[in-house]
Amino acid sequence: MERTNRGRLRELFRAEGRGAGDLLFLGAVILLAAYGVVCVFSASYYNAEVQYGDALFFFKKQLAGFVLGLGAIAAVSFLDYRKIEKCGLPALIASLLLLALVFVPGVGKTNYGATRWLEIGPISVQPSEIAKYAFVLFTARYFSKDPGRMRTFVGVLPVLAAGGSVCLLIMLEPNMSVTMCVGAVMIAMIFLAGLSPKALAAILVPVLLLVPVLIAAEPYRLRRLSAFMDPWVSPKEEGYQLIQSLYALANGRLFGVGLFHSRQKFRFLPFAESDFILSVIAEETGFFGIVLLFALIGFIIIRGYRIASRCETFYGYLLAAGITTVFAVQSALNALVVSGCIPPTGLPLPLVSAGNTSLVVTMAGMGLVYSVSRHRRGG
Amino acid sequence: MILAITFLFCIFLGRFLYIQLIWEEELHYRALDQWTREIPVNAGRGAILDASGELLAGNRAAYAVYARASAVEDAEGAADLLAGFLGDRETLLRKLTDRSKSEIVLCRRTAKEVVEALAEHEVKGVYYARNDERVYPYGALASQVIGFTAYDGTGTTGLEGYYDNLLAGKKGEILFETDLVGVDLKGAAAAYLPATDGLNLRLTLDVRIQSLAERVMGRVLGETSAKAVRAIVLDPRDASVLAMVNLPSYDLNEIPRSDLTLLNSLSRNRAVSDVYEPGSTFKIITAAADIEEYLRGNKRALDPMRHVFPSARTRTVDGTTIRCWSDHKNGKHANETLAEALNNSCNPCFVDIALALGKETFYDYLAAFRFGRGTGVDFSGESIGMLLPESSLRDCDFARIGFGQSIAVTPLQLACAAASAVNGGKYYAPRLAAGVFSDDGVKEEFAPVLLGRTVSEEASRILASMLEGVVRDGSGKKAYIEGYRVAGKTGTAQKYEDGVIAQGKYVSSFVGFFPADAPRYLALIIVDEPQGSYYGSTVAAPCAKEIFEGIIDIMKIPKEDTK
Repeated sequence: MERTNRGRLRELFRAEGRGAGDLLFLGAVILLAAYGVVCVFSASYYNAEVQYGDALFFFKKQLAGFVLGLGAIAAVSFLDYRKIEKCGLPALIASLLLLALVFVPGVGKTNYGATRWLEIGPISVQPSEIAKYAFVLFTARYFSKDPGRMRTFVGVLPVLAAGGSVCLLIMLEPNMSVTMCVGAVMIAMIFLAGLSPKALAAILVPVLLLVPVLIAAEPYRLRRLSAFMDPWVSPKEEGYQLIQSLYALANGRLFGVGLFHSRQKFRFLPFAESDFILSVIAEETGFFGIVLLFALIGFIIIRGYRIASRCETFYGYLLAAGITTVFAVQSALNALVVSGCIPPTGLPLPLVSAGNTSLVVTMAGMGLVYSVSRHRRGG
Repeated sequence: MILAITFLFCIFLGRFLYIQLIWEEELHYRALDQWTREIPVNAGRGAILDASGELLAGNRAAYAVYARASAVEDAEGAADLLAGFLGDRETLLRKLTDRSKSEIVLCRRTAKEVVEALAEHEVKGVYYARNDERVYPYGALASQVIGFTAYDGTGTTGLEGYYDNLLAGKKGEILFETDLVGVDLKGAAAAYLPATDGLNLRLTLDVRIQSLAERVMGRVLGETSAKAVRAIVLDPRDASVLAMVNLPSYDLNEIPRSDLTLLNSLSRNRAVSDVYEPGSTFKIITAAADIEEYLRGNKRALDPMRHVFPSARTRTVDGTTIRCWSDHKNGKHANETLAEALNNSCNPCFVDIALALGKETFYDYLAAFRFGRGTGVDFSGESIGMLLPESSLRDCDFARIGFGQSIAVTPLQLACAAASAVNGGKYYAPRLAAGVFSDDGVKEEFAPVLLGRTVSEEASRILASMLEGVVRDGSGKKAYIEGYRVAGKTGTAQKYEDGVIAQGKYVSSFVGFFPADAPRYLALIIVDEPQGSYYGSTVAAPCAKEIFEGIIDIMKIPKEDTK
């Protein structure tokens, strides 16, 4: 049973791997992150000049994150991924602690009405970005140790508990979008591990039922939801962000206004360098720019799953597939938000949006996937 | 897994395509609005000139001073500097720092020299927009006709209001590309959409005749202590208005804006907007109808040459007795023909005519002469007068209409009807504007509009010669000018207040024209509530004479052999 899904993936990618690992995958990841640095500069220089008096403020930070990320990739790539197998549980516990630490006054930092950051000296870290990957590490380790676990409900329970507690802590920040993201990853992991569709449904239905409850719990979510239906009902408040994103997209048309020529980034579009960087990219490079960008992202995802399917260890498979899923889910959710398909939530476009925690951790995660591709022959 | 992700990718890529390809236009249009801030560029308002190009309303160059607080770099410094030109520093500073509006008016209007001096300092965030001041070189002259503009320069009353769409021109804009809070973007050029100046309006009014008429009427107003005086001078050939006088008046350069009741009263063009009972001047219309009907062979019409009216002072209609103003004693008003009835202004004769023609025929003439309807003048707020409805008309009221009672008309209606009766029977819509032209040579003449025919040329000729007799031999003697064929008809009407005759309140009037055989000038004189003498023949007719003499002088019209 657990082999069927994996088997399907295998059929999809039948090509042979090489000892050097999947360099195309690695190249695509680095290319995307580098493109992100350029986009962050373009989207942020005006706002950075006005707010910080330094047009390169965000650019420098992102560049530093990119270099750090490259270091992380290098470090992780040489590491045999199997060596970190045992880190699963400690990683989960550590990230849960970090998540909890956010609520400690003086350490946690509150921005835009949510406490999502840890401030340690000059560095601020977003623990939820780490927790996503820690959860993947834990789940991969847990299922690969005893593949029989997913056959019983009791066996799946610890994964649900781990995912649930991560979700709960993130939800308390509050950060609904990352919660949804972790939830989606959790379900994907269980699915990737080979749970029967029936059992999957048994988990999925209660989770889906929980969504309306969660929305009703916070009044701002309801307002955002209605703003998403028709943003012009409250163009200055809830609808503002989406309207500005739509204006940016519309201004880009098919071919874009040209790199660095966005009109909306002149403070009209909030979070232009982070969560809504895709709006600026859409404005500057047009629809075809978006297609090319998602071709690159899609390529990374497909290569990621290909690496997973070719891996000979179950752990490696779950690890690579899990990390790829985190990346895929985040990319898709971000694009859905920016284009107004789902209500606006704060979720970065991985590897592209400004935000060092996300960038470094995602690059490190991608490094792990690459490591899986390198060490497929029993190294 | 891959299927699920492909599905999501397709959803948002489809959405991107929809927004960027289809919805794009509407969204872009909305977005444009938030990307720019604009400073208006006012168009130069067209001038108003008289028939010969004399300036009646023009502009004095002035500017409005604006600030865009978000573009101001040094508010304190700017306030210091501006205070030297525009006054109160604190108010200026408050405005310079008020970011609640995208642009704010620092000074609504200041002289060109001030702005030129200011502009040299190149204060960041301060802008100038043309905002000319309207000036009226002739002050009070024809003030109700010309009208005035509001503070923002739009025409509100008179011709300034009626022709505002032509005079106003089209505003332009300077568009600044800004960020969210209105800060100018570096390197972004300001787009300049130039204003289109308004067209100049040339009137039919002749400033010389207007001044003459105002002078004459002004003197009468003083001499008779009348409540008000009005006069219309028009060219009967096409109903071009040469002068239109309403006194008392006011100076257009010093409009009493603080006293609205007074302003409304003074600025009302009563020659067009107010009605009065015309009295005997209306007999022109009754006579015209009779002559025309007789010529057409209507058996009921009275022969204008040979019919002799009964000499009795009274007529009894519907049991009501209608009297002549004269006592008919000692052979007065005896055995009159139509010409003599006009000379004597004998009321019973015109009762006879009205009753002989009958309501239906007579009302057809009233309609043709445009009583109870608009004259079609190019002026807002024209009254159509008051005409009793034909269907419910009592004979006694109808009989009175024959000599100008039980009917209310505007001065313009009467003047135009009289013009039509003596110009060969053509009714032209009266007009105040002759055409428009722009400073760069575009030109349009407004052609006279013939609204219809009232009487035949022959009837018109007969009537005119009878009216010439009125001035030569009858009640209009005081309008007689040696060597010129002046014709006319007097009128003295009692005023009604709340439906009852107001004792001692009269409207004295006179309609005159010359030359009688080919009228070039027609004047209607109205003196409202003169004190002392109140007969049209003694109060109003001399005014017409004086105005005609003035016109003869101005136009250098030679004497002709009047027999």
